[in-house]
Amino acid sequence: MHASVPGKPLPAREVWRRIGTQALVTLLAAFWLIPVAMMVSVALMPSASRDVLLGGLVVLRPTLENFAQVWRDNPLPLFFLNSLLITVPTVVLVLSISSLAAFGFSRLPFRGSGFWYILLMLTLMVPIPTLVIPLFQTAKQLGLINNYLGLILPYTALGIPFAVVVLTSYFSRLPRDLEDAARLDGCTSFQVYRQILLPLSWPAMAVVFIWQFMVSWNEFILALVLMQDEGRKPLILVPLIYNGVYLSKPGALFAILTIITVPVILIYLFMQRYFISGLTAGSLKG
Amino acid sequence: MGGKTALKAIQRQEGFLFILPALVFFAAFVAYPIIYITRASLLDWNGLAPGTWVGLDNYVRLFRDDPVFHKTLRNAGLWTLLTIFPQMFIGFGLAVLLNGPILGRTIYRAIFYLPAIISPIVIGIVWQRIYDPFGGLLSDVARRTDQMWLSQPYLADPGTATLATIAVNVWQWTGFSMLLYLAGLQGLPGEVLEAATIDGATGFQRLRQIVWPMLRPVHLTLILLGLIGALQTFALVFILTRGGPNNASQTMPTYIFQQAFQLSSMGYGAAISVVLLVVALVASLGQMRLLGSRFVVGEGD
Repeated sequence: MHASVPGKPLPAREVWRRIGTQALVTLLAAFWLIPVAMMVSVALMPSASRDVLLGGLVVLRPTLENFAQVWRDNPLPLFFLNSLLITVPTVVLVLSISSLAAFGFSRLPFRGSGFWYILLMLTLMVPIPTLVIPLFQTAKQLGLINNYLGLILPYTALGIPFAVVVLTSYFSRLPRDLEDAARLDGCTSFQVYRQILLPLSWPAMAVVFIWQFMVSWNEFILALVLMQDEGRKPLILVPLIYNGVYLSKPGALFAILTIITVPVILIYLFMQRYFISGLTAGSLKG
Repeated sequence: MGGKTALKAIQRQEGFLFILPALVFFAAFVAYPIIYITRASLLDWNGLAPGTWVGLDNYVRLFRDDPVFHKTLRNAGLWTLLTIFPQMFIGFGLAVLLNGPILGRTIYRAIFYLPAIISPIVIGIVWQRIYDPFGGLLSDVARRTDQMWLSQPYLADPGTATLATIAVNVWQWTGFSMLLYLAGLQGLPGEVLEAATIDGATGFQRLRQIVWPMLRPVHLTLILLGLIGALQTFALVFILTRGGPNNASQTMPTYIFQQAFQLSSMGYGAAISVVLLVVALVASLGQMRLLGSRFVVGEGD
């Protein structure tokens, strides 16, 4: 089961060691997956029967009736749409504003730009719960409660700093020959940004895109406070709506949890490479 | 040459224009709210009627007379220590295992990181069922194996509520540490990597004495991110315990929410916000100064 270099057989001890490591990792991974498996298995639990073991981790007669019921009785696509209508504009705003700023910081430094950079970075240390009172009160005054903009704007502000870090460092490593040539041809800074730098920077943009998407999709405290009208709630708040309704029907509640989680898992599996390079976005070059 | 200097001058002006939108967002949604809570923290204010000026009374009450606030401070310490270090050690162990000759490394890596992409609310509800002393996973295992000590009201017991919540956080975020360590290991020179496989006692020693110190930048990044994350934890606590029972698992973020949005004490909530902000800034800036932690960004995978 283990590949070895042809003509150079591994010593028996090494083979056993590898098998041991593989077994250990598999065991740990299976253990790690238990809660995720439980989310799905409880969703498959028949409501009338008692045929479950281990709190619902093992279901003897699985059924899809919970999925059918929650899908029929609840406007789940609406909540998906709400999440998208909050997340997509946020990501677009973060990408445009941060790439402009990153261009400014990396290509057009001016007196004091270092100061502004550090000030922006302070945002990364501000706990979001400290902002929830003023953001709620201001949104109330401006009539932005239950309005997507009430979340889009603060999410954008909170997302910009990390995006600026990623994009600035990416821009700084791009060669400048092309830009210099374009400048000599009379291109303005904005044209250089728009026509040369942006097309070259898609790998960094992809990283920011995915990271920001995840963060906005899973943000909770601001959404909880600002979205009170059920028709406007994003997915993250949906389990709270049904936690009470389906108190005696864990199968239905968990079907909802599964329905809102599976798309995220699928997207993650397809785009794993970007997720991971985004996270390790070099955090290691010390 | 004169034209070039003029161009440089224009570019300097332009630089500010390019960063202006980012600064506007910062001013409106970060700087202004900070001024706002500072001012509101000096008021007795229910959020509807205009507040009355009370000076530093809210702070005096917090530090002198509020046992719940003292619990949130203790819990902030617990959260910081008991999330950061277990996540680092377990994450490092997993990274070392996955860095060895393993089949299907990408799949395992995906599995360990999976919890981090799932909504904390979903995770909280699932773990409630794992912990549930009446028919939950742990209690069922306890019953079947006759190990009744396993069946506890983990979330309903003031003595265990915080720890049980922290454990969920460790499960959710260890994969993140693993990813960073894995990338760190892959960036080490080959000879060191040789040492980074578990190979009996000597392998373990080499791991501890050579590899671990070389990953210092990763440790520092994880400590900084872990600190910021621990101080702003809200969703998991909110869904698992609501800060209970009897405020035992209350954190500063959940206490802000309770005071401001459930008890309509906006002024008092603002004072807690200011304290949390100061703690977060002092802790992260202090750490950056003392240890040299920073948000480092470089090449991707």
